[in-house]
Amino acid sequence: MRIGVFICHCGENIGRTVDCPSVASACANFSGVVHAEDYKYMCSDPGQNLIKQAIKEKNLDAVVVGSCSPHMHEKTFRKACSDAGINPFLVEMANLREHCSWIHDDVPSATRKAIDLVRMLVEKVKFNEPLIPIRVPVTKRALVIGGGISGIQASLDIANAGYEVVLVEKEPSIGGHMSQLSETFPTLDCSQCILTPRMVEVYQHPRIKLVSYSEVENVEGFIGNFSVTIRKKARSVKDELCTGCGLCVQKCPIKKVALSDFDEGLATRPAMYVPFPQAVPNIPVIDRSVCTYFKTGKCQLCKKVCGREAIDFEQQDQLIKEDVGAIIVATGYKLYTIDKKPDESMIKGYGEYGYGKFKDVVDGLQFERIASASGPTSGEMLRPSDKTTPKKIVFIQCVGSRDESKGFSYCSKICCMYTAKHAMLYKHKVHDGEAYVFYMDIRAGGKNYDEFVRRAIEEDGVKYIRGRVSKIYEENGKLIVKGEDTLAGVRVEIDADMVVLATAMIAQNDSVKLAQTLSVSYDKYGFFNESHPKLKPVETSTGGIFLAGACNAPRDIPDSVSMASAAAAKALVLFGSDVLEREPVVAKVNEATCAGCFYCQKVCAYNAIEQKEIKDRQGNVIKVVAYVNSGLCQGCGTCNATCPSKSVELLGFKDDQIYAQINSFAEVF
Amino acid sequence: MKQLIDISKELFESKQVGYIIGYAEDKFKRVKPFVAYSSLDTERFVFNNNSVNNLAVYLTRLPKAKEGKIGIVAKGCDIKSIIALIQENQIKRDDVIIIGVNCNSVVNQIDEQFSKENTAIKCKYCQVRTPAHYDYLVGEIKEVELPEDKNFAIMQKLDSMSAEEKWNFWEAEFEKCVKCYACRQVCPLCYCEQCIVDKSMPRWIDSSATTKGNFAWNMIRAFHLSGRCIGCNECERACPAEIPLSLLNRKMGMVAINEFNYRHGTDINQPTLIGNYNVNDKEDFIM
Repeated sequence: MRIGVFICHCGENIGRTVDCPSVASACANFSGVVHAEDYKYMCSDPGQNLIKQAIKEKNLDAVVVGSCSPHMHEKTFRKACSDAGINPFLVEMANLREHCSWIHDDVPSATRKAIDLVRMLVEKVKFNEPLIPIRVPVTKRALVIGGGISGIQASLDIANAGYEVVLVEKEPSIGGHMSQLSETFPTLDCSQCILTPRMVEVYQHPRIKLVSYSEVENVEGFIGNFSVTIRKKARSVKDELCTGCGLCVQKCPIKKVALSDFDEGLATRPAMYVPFPQAVPNIPVIDRSVCTYFKTGKCQLCKKVCGREAIDFEQQDQLIKEDVGAIIVATGYKLYTIDKKPDESMIKGYGEYGYGKFKDVVDGLQFERIASASGPTSGEMLRPSDKTTPKKIVFIQCVGSRDESKGFSYCSKICCMYTAKHAMLYKHKVHDGEAYVFYMDIRAGGKNYDEFVRRAIEEDGVKYIRGRVSKIYEENGKLIVKGEDTLAGVRVEIDADMVVLATAMIAQNDSVKLAQTLSVSYDKYGFFNESHPKLKPVETSTGGIFLAGACNAPRDIPDSVSMASAAAAKALVLFGSDVLEREPVVAKVNEATCAGCFYCQKVCAYNAIEQKEIKDRQGNVIKVVAYVNSGLCQGCGTCNATCPSKSVELLGFKDDQIYAQINSFAEVF
Repeated sequence: MKQLIDISKELFESKQVGYIIGYAEDKFKRVKPFVAYSSLDTERFVFNNNSVNNLAVYLTRLPKAKEGKIGIVAKGCDIKSIIALIQENQIKRDDVIIIGVNCNSVVNQIDEQFSKENTAIKCKYCQVRTPAHYDYLVGEIKEVELPEDKNFAIMQKLDSMSAEEKWNFWEAEFEKCVKCYACRQVCPLCYCEQCIVDKSMPRWIDSSATTKGNFAWNMIRAFHLSGRCIGCNECERACPAEIPLSLLNRKMGMVAINEFNYRHGTDINQPTLIGNYNVNDKEDFIM
């Protein structure tokens, strides 16, 4: 074998602590090495040309580069070598920077170590085999999970680019939290007015298959080739027959039992309902937990009035399968509710604010419904307890957010803006009212955001008090808000008629379960993790699965929409080619020695190991052995380490390669 | 004995089995493993205190029956290895017919007369004298006197030793190893077609019978059996150099029980300890 060794100074990074020329001259003496040189920047164009030139002139058939981590430049050097005619998997990198120069300061010993590191890889590369990238076909179809604004945007972008989309929404209608909002900051345009056209566009789009009232049950496969099982929950209404006339909803006698989720519990809805008038699809659902028929076996009024015979009390949950190539997760957020089951929550709660105890202490989404023209008060500013107009209103920011002692350490990002908006909407409707905001800092970064907050303070006269509220209690029909003004250094007490808490944005209840179904990582709060916080903000650690919106971290509408378009663009990049090339560093089973214990199958995190029957010529099964699906295998090597008879090997890291590497190191001693 | 022979005959006559693995006496009246291929052969079946061999080892070593299932005569402890083989995909439950035997303990030294002193130590802690899992059950339970557990004191002593003292203890024991691999051949759970010690490209384990090679072999074997050994003790019985292998296996088994509450070979459907992740697993051993 003719091996070339190339030592990089990495400017001063390696050169300062490692004597690169002497490493190169020491390496020139290793058996098999026919060329060794050092250069200031091996990754630069002239550096790469040195390698290419040496390959041609010295007729090299393997290369070892002593430079930075393979994470940085393995691709660069593999590409350079493959341009010069060497199989890229006959290129090895010795990490002389992170593993040597950066962590040592004594030049002679660091140089000795550098020589050892290169020698180990020279010995390894002698056993390397040329490998060919694995090519897998791509299913050019996307799954979008979540039909809020992010999911809607991503679906429309992909569908408009010409590819099919399956949009799964767990609620009866798409629209998400945005459909609940009254007006949106910083322009104060009506949320529903800008959202509903998009919802209708989704519904009418020939390439979008909307699967509402459904949840993702299982995901199998890998980038380009996912097979998804979706559980379509029983609506008790045949969606292919229903015309959405709404007669059944009108006639349903159970009017006041169930609280409306859409109105955040401030209003009731019938047992048969559509969440809101503009719902898409406009198909009702029977809430079986309150429906008279499901409780007593009598009624069936809806069935009698339905001219299309669409009501089906016997309907069961359905499992449907969809094959897709990319998945966009846009499951959104929920608000931290202080009163409900605080034991199950990871934070201790804010009992001192009396949420759930005092009717006139509401959270941000409830205030949105009160302020909304489609809400329970038809947009009139009336407090929930006695339906009178509150003359004094207090907004408290950072309830749960930015509070390590009893809440979440992160900032929920949108509360500063929506509190300013809430106070403004209140002042616009109650001209003689007083609005107070307790805040920690005003975080209004964004186009026209700070101007918006200033407008609330300066034009609308909202009183901002920097400080925290310690307690809220009821006295003579008033809510006494006790807090402090840290700028003035005085205690403050306000006798308010209504209090609005800007509670933290938290991950959806079942986000961890979904993350596990999708094999994507999540943080300690249940938000899905991006692959790289700066350079890969919409990718996940699993190829082909992308993130959009507030399922990743608290986000406002403009950010969610941009992220959704970014995720859609990533999916479209995937759909741009017919086949995907994957690194051939995958596990391979030696079928002759495999004993079929399948411990490898148990430890495989990617479900990449299957059982394969070995048959004789008559077709009788002789034995069952493990088989690696190279499309699924990620090359982690866990099976390799687990196999008791060493019958699984990782291509590119085979036993003889590792053994040669270790042995060459042991020679020193 | 008549019960055992009757059931075996019936299994052959109804063509349910291709062969039955059991015990028979040779002409010197020594009890040995015996494979019956016809109902006539079953006349030779015996079972007594000398039926010490764990016959489960033959389930993966003998060729499959041409027709019918494999019958096997097994004590409670041996049945644990049969279950372990099922848990590890080596045989299917439907392919074996287990004739369980009520066991009144077995000999330690097969060449000597069975007595209280000459009783295997594993019998002292046996909880499956009446097997927990079987297709047929034969024999009767009798009162037995159990021997003293001499090993336990050694184990306690080993636990209190320093690393260097332990090393010296095992160095002296492994010194005797002649790398005959009898321990492996007799082990029902050593079913690999190519043992790692026989792998030569590259050779991970030094095959020479030196301190280094002996340590490598015996330690690897102990690790490969940890969380898997069911404690039949056949390796120690088969060892011509009398290395106390049960000390290693028993210690590893105790770790599996104490740290993970896991006993291999007790439940066909239980996920194996090795190879299955459980969020409740202890992690305090990770440094």
